[in-house]
Amino acid sequence: MAEQTQKAFQSQIGIFQNPKLTGKKRTVRRWYKDVGLGFKTPREAIEGHYIDKKCPFTSDKVSIRGRILTGVVISVGKMERTIIIRREYLHYIPKYNRYEKRHKNLAAHMSPCFVGVEVGDVVTVGQCRPLSKTVRFNVLRVQKKIVKGAKSFAKF
Amino acid sequence: MGISRDSRHKRAHTGAKRAQYRKKRKFELGRQAANTKIGAKRIHTVRVRGGNIKFRALRLDTGNFSWGSEASTRKARIIRVVYNASNNELVRTNTLVKGAIIEIDAAPFRQWYESHYAIPIGRRAQKTGAEATAEDPLNKKRSNHVLRKIESRKEQSKVDQALADQFAAGRVLARISSRPGQSGRADGYILEGKELDFYVRRLKARKA
Repeated sequence: MAEQTQKAFQSQIGIFQNPKLTGKKRTVRRWYKDVGLGFKTPREAIEGHYIDKKCPFTSDKVSIRGRILTGVVISVGKMERTIIIRREYLHYIPKYNRYEKRHKNLAAHMSPCFVGVEVGDVVTVGQCRPLSKTVRFNVLRVQKKIVKGAKSFAKF
Repeated sequence: MGISRDSRHKRAHTGAKRAQYRKKRKFELGRQAANTKIGAKRIHTVRVRGGNIKFRALRLDTGNFSWGSEASTRKARIIRVVYNASNNELVRTNTLVKGAIIEIDAAPFRQWYESHYAIPIGRRAQKTGAEATAEDPLNKKRSNHVLRKIESRKEQSKVDQALADQFAAGRVLARISSRPGQSGRADGYILEGKELDFYVRRLKARKA
């Protein structure tokens, strides 16, 4: 199918697709979970066909615990299933009684269940175990960028 | 020992080069790979952190393989490595690792199937006279109770054609699901269904 793009067979581990059973039943058995903390698991995660061992909704291997942060997407599509988020904050300088702007970038893993995420979207990420050298967060929810004019002519 | 698993020698996320401020520590050690080959069993034990033991298999010839859809697990001989998604070198050198696709001896599974369902699988069509001995699992004498059980299993006995062809050749494709360099065993499962189609297609493409 479309999701077998790698050299090894991609499947959810622990879910046995018994070739003897598929008579009248639907095609593939899919496993998904509720990540907790009030986050709704997307419909695309339940009904989709993608295989992602780092997806918080369809993989038993990653759990969301620790910090939940939000940020603005500044880079998407350059790395496979990973995005860069920018988090801005104000730092106080006591001598001048004033603030300065600072920011930190954060790499987060984005599951294929989030489709159509663009630069500028606000995203909520949850902490999980290290997934790669710099990725310790997983995207849990996406809020689209609010365009003031509401006439979204973006591409086309 | 020169292999270490630390990340202090790597550049930071920002790209900055990190200065070395301490020597390598024992808790970040790495060891030589096992590179388990096929042959008479040879397993070395390693004492690891906490006093625990790991079994480094250097040579293995058998493994415990399970036939998922029939829920039957048998010890089978490993014949050769056929495909490895990560590295073709590991196929050439017949190295057993987790995730490698291998050929195993089909005999234990065929014996189980024939005694469980009393239906031949992968049998060559001729030689009718010589096979009709009492020992043959197909023809041996069974009690009434056992015969009734076999009748009730009849409709579940259908095996996928791709798998049945492998039985005819006496070799079945399986995938190793244990880590021979850690546990000392090469256990796995027989490929079936979509997974089997996937790898059969890969193998055919390689041969062509």
